[in-house]
Order: sequence, then C-alpha cells, then structure tokens
Amino acid sequence: MEVGNVLLFPWTAASGIGRAGTAARAARAPVSVARAVAIVKAAAGAAGVVRGVAVPGPGSPPRAVRWLVAAGLCAAAALPAGAGAATVAVAAPADPYRAITVATWGGPYEESQLRAYFAPFTERTGIRIETERYAGGLEELRRQVKAGDIAWNLVDMTMADNRAACRQGLLEPLDHSQLHPAPDGTPAAGDFIDGALTECGVAQIVHSMVAGYNRNAFPGERPTRIGDLFDLQRFPGKRALHRGPEANLEWALRSYGVPRQDLYQLLSTKRGLRLAFARLDRIRDQVVWWTSMDQPVQMLISGEAVFASQYNGRLFDAAAVQGHPIEIIWDGQIYELGTWGIPRGTRRRDDVLEFLRFATGTHPLAEQARYIAYGPARRSSMKLVSTHAETGVDMRPHLPTSPANFRTAIRKDTEWYASLYDRIKSRFDAWLAE
Amino acid sequence: MRRRRALEPSPAARIAWSAALGMAVGVVASLAAIGFVDLVLLLNEWLLISPRSRFMQDDRTLLLVATVLVPAAGGLVVGLVHHYLIPERRPHGPPDIIRAVQGLDGVVPPRSGVLSALTSLVSLGAGASVGQYGPLAHLGATFGSLVARLTRHTERNATVWVGCGVAAAISTAFNAPLAGIVFAHEVILRHYSLRAFAPITVAAAVGHVVANVVFERPPLFRVESLNVVAAPEFLGFILIGVAGAFVAVLYMRAILLSSRIARRVPVADWMKPMLAGAVLGVAAIGMPDILGIGKETLRFAVIDQAFAPGELAFLLVAKLLATALCIGFGFAGGVLSPALLIGILFGAFAGNGVELLVGEFRSDIAIYAICGMVAVASAVIGAPLTTILIVFELTRNYDLATAAMVSVVFSNLVAYRIFGRSLFDVQLHLRGFDLSAGRDKVILERRSIEAHVSRDFVSLAPDLPLAKARSRLLAARCHEGYVVDTDGVCLGGVKLAEILSNEEPGEGGGFSSGEGVGALAKRVEPVFTPTTSVWAAMERMGDFVGETIPVVEADGGGRMLGVVSEAAIVKAYREAMDDIRREENAGV
Repeated sequence: MEVGNVLLFPWTAASGIGRAGTAARAARAPVSVARAVAIVKAAAGAAGVVRGVAVPGPGSPPRAVRWLVAAGLCAAAALPAGAGAATVAVAAPADPYRAITVATWGGPYEESQLRAYFAPFTERTGIRIETERYAGGLEELRRQVKAGDIAWNLVDMTMADNRAACRQGLLEPLDHSQLHPAPDGTPAAGDFIDGALTECGVAQIVHSMVAGYNRNAFPGERPTRIGDLFDLQRFPGKRALHRGPEANLEWALRSYGVPRQDLYQLLSTKRGLRLAFARLDRIRDQVVWWTSMDQPVQMLISGEAVFASQYNGRLFDAAAVQGHPIEIIWDGQIYELGTWGIPRGTRRRDDVLEFLRFATGTHPLAEQARYIAYGPARRSSMKLVSTHAETGVDMRPHLPTSPANFRTAIRKDTEWYASLYDRIKSRFDAWLAE
Repeated sequence: MRRRRALEPSPAARIAWSAALGMAVGVVASLAAIGFVDLVLLLNEWLLISPRSRFMQDDRTLLLVATVLVPAAGGLVVGLVHHYLIPERRPHGPPDIIRAVQGLDGVVPPRSGVLSALTSLVSLGAGASVGQYGPLAHLGATFGSLVARLTRHTERNATVWVGCGVAAAISTAFNAPLAGIVFAHEVILRHYSLRAFAPITVAAAVGHVVANVVFERPPLFRVESLNVVAAPEFLGFILIGVAGAFVAVLYMRAILLSSRIARRVPVADWMKPMLAGAVLGVAAIGMPDILGIGKETLRFAVIDQAFAPGELAFLLVAKLLATALCIGFGFAGGVLSPALLIGILFGAFAGNGVELLVGEFRSDIAIYAICGMVAVASAVIGAPLTTILIVFELTRNYDLATAAMVSVVFSNLVAYRIFGRSLFDVQLHLRGFDLSAGRDKVILERRSIEAHVSRDFVSLAPDLPLAKARSRLLAARCHEGYVVDTDGVCLGGVKLAEILSNEEPGEGGGFSSGEGVGALAKRVEPVFTPTTSVWAAMERMGDFVGETIPVVEADGGGRMLGVVSEAAIVKAYREAMDDIRREENAGV
C-alpha cells in the first residue's frame, strides 16, 4: 500500500528553514523562555530521551517537586519577559502522565509542526507531544492495530495512505463537526479545502509538485504555463524530471489542453496514455532524469537543467532563503494533502482529539506556514499567513494554496495512484527503455 | 382571488413577482441539474463504466461480467419502471415539453417527469449510450410546470415557467446562460415576448451563477486560442455543414428505425431495454468508448493525432448504432450528447480529410471537429442559434463561433429539407402532433368542441305527427329539428321547409299528415362527437349550410348529446387565436 517513493515525502529532508539544530534555533527564535523550554521538552520527548530536571519523565522526582520545578520555570520565564508575560501565566504545567505520541516525518517539516502547534499545545494544556519517526506506508500501523499494542496516538500520513488505512479498518472514523470553526464562524466543513476531510482523515497541509526554472536561462520570454515545459522551440534547454510517471504524465496530457478535472479519466484510457507518452517523446532527448530529491535544485543552480520538477517547498528554500534565481511555474501544480489519522483503538482519545482540534485550528495552521512553504488546508488560515520566520519574506505568494497559484492546480488522484501505481510505473519504465 | 387583484394593478409588484418566480424555478432546476450530473458521474464510477474505474479494476473477469451485466440490469430497472409506473409506458423528454407548451396548457405531468428523470439517471449511470441534456431539460420543465400549477391563480401563462425550467437546466448543464435563454425560445416556446423573456433570462442567469460560481463546474469542452488560418477554409465549413446534415439525418433515421424494429421484436416491452443493454455491453467489451455519454472521447476528438482517421469513422458508426439501439429499445435519455459526440468525430474525420488536401495550411483540427459537432447536433435538436451560442459561450472565441455558424446554418437548411425541423418535431408528428403547419393548428386540434355543445335543439320523436312537429319547430323558432328515438339515438335531421311541403296532401305524394316525422328524417352530415377538435370541426364545416350540427356520443351508439352551431365553432376558434396572441405578445 505504500504509494510511490520518495516523491510522496517531500519534507523528509531540508526545506523551509535553516540548518541549525533544534535547540539552537529555539533559542534564537523570538519566543518566550517558557516556550523555549516547552520546545526543548518536546524535542527531548521526540528523541525518546529524558534527561535533566526540566523534563520530568517516568522515574523522576515526586509530584510535588515537579510542581515546584515547573513553578520556578514559570517564574523564571515571567521575569525577563516583563509585560509580555501575560501569556505565560495561562500556560499549564506539563503533566508527565499526559503525553500523546505522534508519528510524523522528521526534518524541517517536523520542525515547523513543533513550532506551530506541538509546543503551543503543550504550553496551553500541559499535555506533552512525543514524536516517533514515520516514513509512510501502513506496515507498522497495521502491526500495531493487529497486535492491539498501539504506540501511536496520531499519524501524519499522505492522503493516499490514509484512504487505504481507513478502508482496511486501521483508523478511527472522525466526526468533522468537532473541528474548530473558522474565526468568522464558518463551520470546518466549509473552511477546509475540497477533499481535505475524509472518513478517517483531516488534512492539514497542502504540498505541491511544480516545475521550476532558472530565470537566467530565459532572459526574454519566460515560461508561464506547464505546457511550456514541452515547448523546446520557445524554451530550449535540458529538463530535470523525476524518473517516474507521477507529474510527468499529468503535465504531458495537460499540455494538450485537457481540462485538469478530466486528466485521470483520460489517463485511464489507452489513447490518453499514448498521447501523454507521445508528448514526453518530444522532449525525451532533453530530459535529465532525477532520482533523488537533492538533485533537481542542484541541477537548476549548476545550469545542468533549465527546468526542473520539484516540491514547491524546496524550490522556495532555494530561491527565497538561499537566493538562487529560481522561479516556480504554478500553472498545473499537482497538489496532495498531508493528513492526520487516528489508529483504531488508540488510548487517551480525549487528549488526542483535543490536540487534533488544536492542531487543525486556523491559527496554528497559519503559523506553520511561517516555517515551511506548504499551504494550510484551511481557507481561513490562508488569510492569516504572514512572513517567513527566518527571512521575513511574505509567504502568501509562495504557498500552493494562495488563490492565484491554486487556480489551475491539479488535485493528485491518490486513489488512482493507490491502485495503479505498479502498472503505471512499469508502463513508464517500458517507455523509458524504448 | 383578492390577492390577485392586489398584485395586478402595480407594475412594480408584477415585475418583482415575475423575477422572483423565475429565480425560484431557476434555482430548483439548476440544483437538480447539478445533482443529476454528479449522480451520473458517481454511478459511472461505482458501476465500472468510467474509464478510470475500469482501469483501476484489477479483476479482469469482474470487469468483463460487469460490462455486460450493468447495462443489462440498468435496462431491466428502466424497463420495469416504464412499463408499470409511467402511464404512457415510455420515458418523457423534450418532445413532451414542446407538446405541452405548443399546445398552450403547459402541463408537464410531475409523476412522469420525475420517473423519467429517474430512469434516465439509471440509464446513464449504467452506461447506456444516451444523452443527459434531454432529461435535464425535462426535469427543469417539470419543476417549471409545478410552479405554474402552484401559482395558477395569479399567472395565466404556464408555458413561461416551463420555459424558465428548461432555460435554467440548459444554462447550468452547459454553463452557457445565453444558450439556455435561446434554447427555451427556439425549441420550446417558439415565439418571443417580453413576458416570457424576462423571467427566462432570470432563470438562466441563476443557473449560470449556481453552476459557475457556487459549484465551479468544468466546461463541456475547452479549446485554447484557435483561429481560422485561411479564408477559403470557410468553404470547408459549409461542406461540413452540408455533410453534417446527412450524418444527422442518418442518426435520426436510425433512431426511428430502431424504435420500429423494437416494436416488432416479439419480447415483452419491459424486457427490451435489458436486451439492448446486454447487446451494448457485449459490444463494449471490445470498444468501451461507446458506453455512456462519452465525455472522454469528446475531449480526445479535439486533439490532433488522438485518433487515426479509420478509428474516427469506426467509432462514429459504432456510437450511432449504439445510441439508436439504446433509445429505440426503450432506455431513457436524450439524443443531444450522442449527437455532439458523433458530430465531433465526424468533424475530426473531415478535418483529417482537409489535411490530406491542403496539408499544413489547415487550421487546427479542433475547429473542424467543433464545426462538425454543431452541424450534427443543431440539426438533430433543431436549434441553430442555441448551438452557435454554446460554442461562443464555451470558447469565447469569435473565429470559432463564426466558423461554427456557417456549418450550423447549412446543416439546418439541408436537414430541414430532407428530414424535418428536428428529431423532436418528427417524433411528435409520428404521435399525431404536427407542428409543421404552425402552432394554431396544433392548438385547435387539442381543443375539443365539447364546451360549445348546446342542448338547446328541437328533439322530435319518430312517430310525432308532422303537424305537431311543425308547430314545435315554429314555437322554438328553429328551421330544423332532430328525430331522436326513445333510446336517445339520433335518426336524422328534418327541416321545417320539408315538413311544410309534405303536409300538403297529394302534392308530394306518399305522405299524409297522419304519418310520423320519422319518415322525413335524413341522414345529416357532418356529425360531431364531444371529442371532435375545433380544427376538425372547422375543416368539416367547409361546405356545410345549416343552423346547427348534431353532436353524438363518441362510443358509436349515436346517442344524441346536443348540437353545436357554426357561430359557436367560430367563437372557439377566435378564443384559441386570442390565447395565442395573448401569450406571444404579452408585455411584462
């Protein structure tokens, strides 16, 4: 059931913010001391290591002592924070026996989660968030549910995996009416983007495969539409494309003017596939196939390629943070949703639901976009997105869900890929070998 | 009644009321249309009709079995519903709307309307090769008619609201409000008046808003920046129009022929759609493109090199036969979607031909494909303006619309000559409802003389002496009486003059004043029944001289019911003409 490969997990490596360690960044970032402590605690919990008095764990001092420590920390935080300490007063002390385990992807993506909603949640409720590394697929989830030994309270998974897991009865069905409404009162069902709420899933983030290009390669006319990727006359040069069917087939067929809503219906016919491969044939000589996530941006920077397909977060990182002359063609972006799922039979359900409600709220999702260039799955969050935490760049124009970018977006048909990936992939490999 | 008086005097209130009703019909019809289209898509996905669901199905045996069984099972459901639940035992569609509106009553029966929508949904969902726009228009008309019925105290013209429903449905389905407005006028109302135009426009606009703004429907087809390369290509568009007319006529004749064959097939009526479904399913194993509406094929046809010319021709014939089979054998559904598909395949085929002739200098194949599409479709539904507008609204491309216009006009001219105004009109004609002689004839044919029958006539027993008969006629100041026996059967008519001349003994010979008046009774011509239409009465009155025409029971027994005078028939005629005038020339 594991769908695809590295392409599905865009956030597993560098993207979004800089390369400093968690603690260092937490100290540098403009957050209160209490918050920094919470971050450290959460990070330590995530690592599965418990050290020091500040992070009580199993076998730590008696309750009263822990309360004292916590109170002392609060006081310490309150002193330098001065007038701005009002928020600290409401922060609940962390309760060592109240912790939930979240399986997520690590890397800068998890960083953004930590800052946007793990730490604030702990601060508010005292419930700690412990993370475990998850890399897609359903094997571990299935093992836990089958064995009745459920270590994960919540899993951050792709929509394709979430659907498959739900169908196999590995996830709890969710009542979407329990989610927080938007600040203006719009119920959650109307506030989340289409397809975000499924039987067992709440999508929280949108990440997109896009085509980027090197500005310097096209001093005159610049490519604006995804069809330009296939136009060697107007836009000559090498194209760095992923060595696999995803995105390539969609874009190839889209370049004929097929409406985006019909792409997967048409790709399901022999004729549609033939046309898509015919379009790829046109540029075959000019394609450099990439297999690892780090390659495409490097190829763009080095001039090895003028176009490259890549997740938008990494292109943003290369352009806005590192300052390379890279532009994104938003036309034809193929988006997919990162989704929360609750393993069936999980314990601490009330705490989990409370976290889920908090983490999918308008403000935390907007906050996350300050640390990573993926789009919040709520419309109301989109309106609140502000600047990049590190560079101060206005994030809105860089998110897949920004209205101007999203207008011609292609929704990745995760069900289609879930049941056809092997067949499509072998067809693609056969074409490559031709 | 008091309310009506309160509303009528104020023009502002009338305008507001009219717009509000148009809006109400528009919202309901348009939401129904969207729901219908979405349900069809869902069913196609679930029932392994759509290419995506078929491609995703790993189990080849299941796929094979479903391909045959799904259309057959759909056919069974459709057949049973038609046979047992719909009084006319057939699905209703655009011809029934035209009939209701042209006949001035505007009544689209809700039961048949809703059930027909249901069977169309099943037909389309199960992959029958039929269209979706006819059922949508009919569903809209059903709602319009319902509104007309609910507001009959204040609104005299039911037809306007039927038009609103149709306009909203078409506007939503194609996402083309102008086409919706024009379709309601061109095909359904067939006249123009401000009273109808205003609410219909409101309804169409509502449909557009619902489709475009609220639900964001993808357009039927999208072509990007096309223009006609060379002026001589317009000659090609004319030829496509002319040839398209022949394709359209072939298609329509195939449908009519298939219905005739279906009637002769010695199988129970309710089993016929199932039979057709099974045949369709077997054919679809090798050629899944013929299943359903065929939207994917429509998309491919505007792409150069998507088909080899031979494939185009083959698919065209296959789709034509499949549609004729499905509609002829009783599946519910429209004729427009398949006509669009057949037309676009024909157009692409023609475009390939032009390429052989002139090579590089040809415009994009999409232009030829779309010209072919509208040429065939407009001839089938008899709506040249609507189809031109659909092209214009969907592509917003002036060049393309101009090219399409040329093809449409020539196609309609030719098809009108060799077939008729549209498939709908020909189907109505076959049901004895001839619109070709104009609307007045249709309306007069639908109105009977029953309301004008008078019981005020002199009835004479056969054995009544002549003298008494004479005095009774004189007392009634009538020149003629009718001899009616004890069972009430009319034996004939007798004129006062004849009685007078026979009363003189010896002169006429044979008769004496002692004999009954029955001996003088003469067969009268014409004789009407209460169901005789005003039109027939006018025709048969041609050489009639006399005061009154007897009306007898329609059962053949000849029991006398009364008489109808020439003046009463003329009055009935004038009433009908007044009604038409009122509807066609009314202001807001």
